Formats: sequence, structure tokens, C-alpha cells
Amino acid sequence: MKFRVFVALVTGAVLVGLAAPGTAMAAESVHVSLTEFNNSGARGTAVLTALDNGDLRVSIRSSRLVPDAPHAQHLHGSVEGMDFHCPVAAADTDGDGYISTEEGVPDYGDIFVSLTTAGDISRASGLAVDRMPVADQSGTLTYDRTIPAAELPAGTVAHLKDLHVVQHGIDANGNGKYDLSALGESTIAAAAGLAGIPQEATHPALCGMVAGASAGSVPVGGVATGDGSTRTDPGRLVTTLPAAMLILLLATLLITRRRKFVLPR
Amino acid sequence: MIRGLVAVVLLFTVAACANSGAPSSATPSFATPSFTTPSSATPSSVAAPSASGALTRGVLLPASPPTRLTIPALDVSVPVTDLGLAPDGTMEVPGDARTVGWFTGAPTPGSLGPAILAGHVDYGGSAGTFARLTDLDQGDPIRVTRTDGLVATFAVTKVARFPKARFPTGEVYGPIDHAGLRLITCGGAFDRDAGHYVDNVVVFATLQSGE
Ligand SMILES: [Cu+2]
Repeated sequence: MKFRVFVALVTGAVLVGLAAPGTAMAAESVHVSLTEFNNSGARGTAVLTALDNGDLRVSIRSSRLVPDAPHAQHLHGSVEGMDFHCPVAAADTDGDGYISTEEGVPDYGDIFVSLTTAGDISRASGLAVDRMPVADQSGTLTYDRTIPAAELPAGTVAHLKDLHVVQHGIDANGNGKYDLSALGESTIAAAAGLAGIPQEATHPALCGMVAGASAGSVPVGGVATGDGSTRTDPGRLVTTLPAAMLILLLATLLITRRRKFVLPR
Repeated sequence: MIRGLVAVVLLFTVAACANSGAPSSATPSFATPSFTTPSSATPSSVAAPSASGALTRGVLLPASPPTRLTIPALDVSVPVTDLGLAPDGTMEVPGDARTVGWFTGAPTPGSLGPAILAGHVDYGGSAGTFARLTDLDQGDPIRVTRTDGLVATFAVTKVARFPKARFPTGEVYGPIDHAGLRLITCGGAFDRDAGHYVDNVVVFATLQSGE
């Protein structure tokens, strides 16, 4: 059993780059409620499952997003113990009626993991819309990806509950697409050197709040926590008396032979 | 085998479980020196108030594996080991009557979600640590000491018995919005043909405090 703990710690150290005591991994699922943001009208759920091999399984189901459009999505926050949360209206510091990605950062933190569909997951892929999931024609987005432990930033699994899923992309002018005529050019994309990307494409649409947690792997059936060895059911004893006596006899023989120990009865 | 029979004798003479040598104090003295950490005992998220309309309830502790279980009402104070899944997909169980196991496939005790501890009702001729689990009443405290040094104190909310054939997987392992604890052992009739108890006893508890 100690060996198992040791192995777990070493695995954690090698794969995730941490072996701090008290951060041993529990395979658990964090259930996240994705709540509307910037009047997007969207809704969704996310389940982040820390697998026992250190990998992270991310499942997201959202609806009422801008249809046929990519939605940049990230885990925001940090593992430094900061208490991040989803922004409230006061976060709209420029008062334009929308909380931009930048305005939200003081509340939900910087991009920690980019939830791309393939390849790199670092902050650098934050605006890689060609690798972001696309909502279908009815605005439903389905995302499932298992990210190998080796690709996760240190501490991700231990701090799953401190991170916030944020999905971006709204349709402010209701024309069914991202366009520059609605809110102009994306300030965060421009700051990153990407010109011509609509602000609609990068404004947050959904922010995840941790709503619960469950077992990450569910055992089959009941648990075999008892062997009946102290049971003396009168009703059943009658039928099992010969067997019980035989066991007692064998046990007694075994013990007297091995230790010259006689049962005190 | 010998130890088991000796324990049975002890059980009838001392009227205590196999842990009769341990003090039944509410403040466990057991410590794991190799795991103690000076700094991480004051995590920022301890007892974080539900800021900005949090969707979770009650006190939540950061993740930290358990080292010891104390149940004052049952005079239980025992070490906790890790349990995984057996090759057939069922939960592993402790290898002796006394030790209680923490299922590593679920949250750590005190953090959000259901933490699972399993112990035998009897094993190898001895009464198990969880032999009297059904004696627990609503409100009884259960304390779990963790590797970060914090002690998570839970209160019993429900004691239930379920047929293993219809084990309520969702209720025991499924998502919850608070830090919960489930103690699992066996109960009901013993099926000698199959060699196992027909039922599981599950004690449900909710975190009250962590310090
Ligand atoms: Cu984001």
C-alpha cells in the first residue's frame, strides 16, 4: 500500500512536475455549470475529470451559441491559490455594456489552458479559432477531449475546482454571425497582432461555476466489505453447522500444529 | 489467521474492536511525519465564503488525502489506506479487519464531492472497524485527519442499507454540491453459498468544519 502511494507520487512528479504532499491525485469529476454572459442567451455544462493516470478529460455541452461559428474556449485562472470567480456587471470598466475578455481577466484570471480540439493547449493557442470547436447549425456545441498529463501545466489536476471554463463568441447584433459592424474589432486579438477579427468572436459567452463533484471512476456494484466470519445467524447455522464445525476443526488443527496454541473453549 | 482468532477472544473479553489498544480520544494523535508540510496547512480556499453566488454549499477544503478516521460514537480511531478498483471493476477492500480504505477514484475527504471510505463489518474471524456502523445516528460526528494536517469534521445525515444487487451508484458516487462523506460496509443476511453479505450499509455525512 505504501508502494502504491510512492508510485502515485513518483508518477505525479514525473508527469505533472509536482510531488507536493497533500496534492496526491484523486480521480474525480468536477461538474461545472456554464452560465450566460454578455446576454448571450447560451447555457451549458462541463465535466472535468481527473483520471487516475493524471490525464484530464474535458466534456462540454453548450447550447444557444452562435451557430456555425467557432467558439474559443479556455480554462481560466491559476493554481497559485487565487480566488477567481465569474465576472459581474461591474467588470465592464469601459461601460460599453459588454464585458470583454480583457475586462473579465481580473475576475476569472488569465488563460491557463486553451481547450483546443487538437494540438497545443497552451495560452499561446488562446485565439487559434481553426482549432476551436464549432457550434452546429442550431448553436449546440459538443466538446470531448482527454488531455495527456504530460501536456497539462503543473497543478492543473490538483486545482481543477479553482479553474473556470470560459467560452467565447456572441452575436451582439443578432445577425447570426460574428461581424465587425456589431462591436468593431477584437481588442484582445488586435493586441496579439491579429487584425480584422470581430469583437463578437472574442467576447465571453459563457462562464463556468463549479456546481459539484463526483467520483471520477465509479466502481461496479456493491462493495465486498465483509466475509461473514463473525456471523452466527441461528436460522442459517442449522444448515451450515457441519461446514462451520469442519472449518473450526481445521483451524484448530492448523493452529495447534503451527504454534501449539489451543483455543480457549 | 492466528491474529484473527486472538482478536475474536479480545473482542469477547475486552468488548472492543481490534483497535482496543488505541485511545478512543476525539483528537487523534496519529501523525504521518513523512507527509507533514509546514506551509500548505493554511490554504487560501479553506472555508471560503460562497462569494459571487457560488453554486456549492458549505465549507470546502482543498484536496488532501486522508490518513486517519475517528468516530467517537463507535470508539473508532484507525489508519486509512488507499483503495483502487479491482480488475473486475469493483472497489478494492482493505486486507484486514481494522484498516479503513479511502477510494482514490473519488474526492478527498473535506473537498467538494463524495469522499468514499470502506471498511469491513467482519473479516478473517474478527469484527471489523465498521461492525457497528448501523449504530450511528443523525448528527454523530465523524472526523477525518488529512495529510495536510487539517481535520475534517462531518456530521451523519443518513444511515441506509441497500441490496448489493441494486446498489445506488448515483446516490453514493454521483455529483453533490457540498463536501460529503460515505462510509461503506456490509450488512443484512450473509449468503453462505455466494460467500458474501447481501446488502451494503452506507452512512452519508456532510462536512461541518475543517481545521
Ligand atoms: Cu477564455
